[in-house]
Amino acid sequence: MRVLAYADSGSWAAQLASAADAQGGDAAVFVPGRELAEAAADLYPEVYFSELGPFEPVSYSAAFSEAARSFKPDLALFPCTNKGRSIAGLYSSAAGIRSATDAISLSARAGDSPITVRRLVYGGRAEAEFRMNAPAAVCMAQGSYPERGPRGGRGGIHEVRAPGPASSVDFRPRRGEGVQPDEADVVVVAGRGIRSREDLELVKGLARALGGAWSVTRPLAADQGWADSWIGISGLVVSPKLYIGVGVSGQPHHVMGARGSRIIVAINKDPGAPIFEECDYGIVGDLYVVVPELLKVLGGKGGGR
Amino acid sequence: MKLLVAVKPTFDIGQLKFEKDGTPMLDACPVSLGEADKCALEEAVRIKERLGATVAAATVGSSEAHYKAIRDSYAMGADEGYLVKADDPWRLDALSVASAIARVAEVTGPYDLVLAGSGAGDTHASVTGPMIAGILGIPLIAGVDRLEITGPGAVTGTCKLEDGSYTYEARTPAVVTVTSEANAPRIPNLRAILRSKGMQIREMDAGELGVDLRRLEPLRVGRYEVKRKGVIYKAEDQKGAAEASASLLAALRSEGVLS
Repeated sequence: MRVLAYADSGSWAAQLASAADAQGGDAAVFVPGRELAEAAADLYPEVYFSELGPFEPVSYSAAFSEAARSFKPDLALFPCTNKGRSIAGLYSSAAGIRSATDAISLSARAGDSPITVRRLVYGGRAEAEFRMNAPAAVCMAQGSYPERGPRGGRGGIHEVRAPGPASSVDFRPRRGEGVQPDEADVVVVAGRGIRSREDLELVKGLARALGGAWSVTRPLAADQGWADSWIGISGLVVSPKLYIGVGVSGQPHHVMGARGSRIIVAINKDPGAPIFEECDYGIVGDLYVVVPELLKVLGGKGGGR
Repeated sequence: MKLLVAVKPTFDIGQLKFEKDGTPMLDACPVSLGEADKCALEEAVRIKERLGATVAAATVGSSEAHYKAIRDSYAMGADEGYLVKADDPWRLDALSVASAIARVAEVTGPYDLVLAGSGAGDTHASVTGPMIAGILGIPLIAGVDRLEITGPGAVTGTCKLEDGSYTYEARTPAVVTVTSEANAPRIPNLRAILRSKGMQIREMDAGELGVDLRRLEPLRVGRYEVKRKGVIYKAEDQKGAAEASASLLAALRSEGVLS
């Protein structure tokens, strides 16, 4: 099975390298830009890249297709991110092949319908197993395969031709205070249990005390405008070592954005909140009482404020 | 201007229940026009109100919910509705749906914009819009929070993606997918609802459109089994909160996730 991955970060290059490894056979990656290509050459035997401007799906997908014409994959893997889904959709329609998203595991073997995909469906409340014919395109969920280390030896690096963007692009990087949720080991998330913008300080304080990042659920960002981004299937998908939901009820679309976390902690006064069904540790209690107590205990060891 | 909006009914997955053996009870799950699809329709109807346009809605599937999705689109302000007939529409694969919508666009167009919700509330694959753009070979702006017609033959969309905000300007025709954050879709008044009931829905045959509708054949569908420890501490008062906090932090240290 020949696997060609698309990766736009070192972390995704390493996660998809694990996913490709698990299938055996030959693996290659396409990345935007020479810098990422140099880094990915430690992970893959073959690396393709194009010099591309800010993300624009049509030209990125065309460059990926160019790499695919050269490598001839049986399976194309993409990050299950907003960008990855767009590129996967464009690529699979151009190649006339089927696609699957939100895959949590993958096994490929020889024979008819050789690719078996286990994927999340219905907002992550159910999972389904499908067989697909090769070639196919699959978007892998964040954290479903671990990041792998260097394989020893350097892969070959090939530049592929890329067309110009199909639309003009103006890119404004996400601004944020301190460590960002998609890069942090600890992520503390405020949910609708937080009553005001000022009260977000509780969550930010807990994140600081734990040396992590803070974020919010979709209503706090999209409806209240208290943050630029949110954790969830339509926002950021994170897989930190530790996720703490503060006043988060656990709506399916939010939980899907945090499912790759190693440990999930929930603090909520409603014992019936769905997040308690999906946590490792939970405190049923008023966050306005519990979080200050947590800060007190953490402050004792000099880590907090 | 001519605008086509791809719509589909979506399961309200928050209300999805499961049989004892883990099979999802889809028949008992409420289904309605998708949230992001409504936002795409709202954008189209706003363009119609500002600049003048014909708005068409298209869906793929013959369930009662699919007919209702078109009637709901009429109630929101669509002028034309196309329904590509397909039994068992819930298992159609995304490429088949995208191919059918793209053919409707070719047959009933040309359109200046093809709009769609950026992701369905149930499957949330977010690949159908990109596939339509790929099949039609036109620009794609995926996941817009803000959409504007910026001149004759030009459309601008601002999208919040993982690493920041992107503003794209594309020449039309183009495909634009709209997020459920883009606007607050109008709630049709009674008169609009009554009017929608009398409007014709043009049914189309996939075979006549030259589209081969394929279905996904899952080997198994079941409730997602959570593999988490589920240790719960109760904190009924401040003393309880102090004890729970100490226990939680000790547990997190022994898990090795806190230094």
